[in-house]
Amino acid sequence: MEELKGNNKNPFSVPEGYFDSFPQKIQERIASENTEYYWFARLFQVIKPQFALGFMIVAFAVIAITTLNVVLSDKAESVIDSDLYTRIIEVDASEFSEQHFIDVLLNDEKEIEEQKQQETDYYINYLIDENIDYGTLMDEF
Amino acid sequence: MSDYSDKELLDLFKETEKRNYAFNLIVRKYQEKLYWHIRKIVIRHDDTDDVLQNTFIKVWKGLDRFREDSKLYTWLYRIATNESLTFLKQQKTKYLLPIADYENQLKETLESDLYFNGDEIQRNLQKAILDLPEKQRVVFNLKYFEEMKYDDMSEVLNTSVGALKASYHHAVKKIEKYFKED
Repeated sequence: MEELKGNNKNPFSVPEGYFDSFPQKIQERIASENTEYYWFARLFQVIKPQFALGFMIVAFAVIAITTLNVVLSDKAESVIDSDLYTRIIEVDASEFSEQHFIDVLLNDEKEIEEQKQQETDYYINYLIDENIDYGTLMDEF
Repeated sequence: MSDYSDKELLDLFKETEKRNYAFNLIVRKYQEKLYWHIRKIVIRHDDTDDVLQNTFIKVWKGLDRFREDSKLYTWLYRIATNESLTFLKQQKTKYLLPIADYENQLKETLESDLYFNGDEIQRNLQKAILDLPEKQRVVFNLKYFEEMKYDDMSEVLNTSVGALKASYHHAVKKIEKYFKED
């Protein structure tokens, strides 16, 4: 850091004549920006009435289309819903019978019985495998 | 070079028919100072040229609204600093580069830059400065190279004098460390 003390000279340079031409460059850029702004402003002045009319038409069209879409989508949804519900009720009603209901209940009971039987077999097998006397077990508990 | 004071230039600018003339004088008076300030932040000449142009366009657009409660030259420096930092941010986001990678690119630029006339020590100093956080880099440049007063720097960076002194102190320590390790 010692060598830097008093060595704060600018180490950069620029292409020759850069600072002589820079003000001109800036003036040109400002002129072009002003021209762009002037043309935009003039164009806007000329097309202002047409632009306003066009904007009104577009705005009206957007509002109309949106409203129409909302109304139609509500209607469409309700038609689909009622059709779907009617069909579900018709199908279920036609396919349902008392016998079917009884079968389902009996089948459920049968499954529970089978499960109980399996559990009992498992316990008995365990007592046999472990050579545990059922009477002794009952005495202890 | 213009011999007008800032006050005279601003008064001249307020006269509608002399606006262009006054602005031209402001550009001539401050172009070099602002160029070097920007150059030390963005490093490349072409980038500096772009940022300097944008700075003066902003000055042109905003000079009408300039309130004379701050100095013209600190206001110009503030615009130049903001434009430079915005440019750096844009470059990093444009190429999706992490900060360190972009700074490394700038360090490589220093090696091959046709418009770098400094010796090896000055090149290393620029590389050490590139390792500093952006705001600290600006503080160091303004104090070390441009010898700007802390009060003026405070106006430029909108930071308290105490914070600027601390920032400069930290920057010097980091640069010392860089040179010791190098």
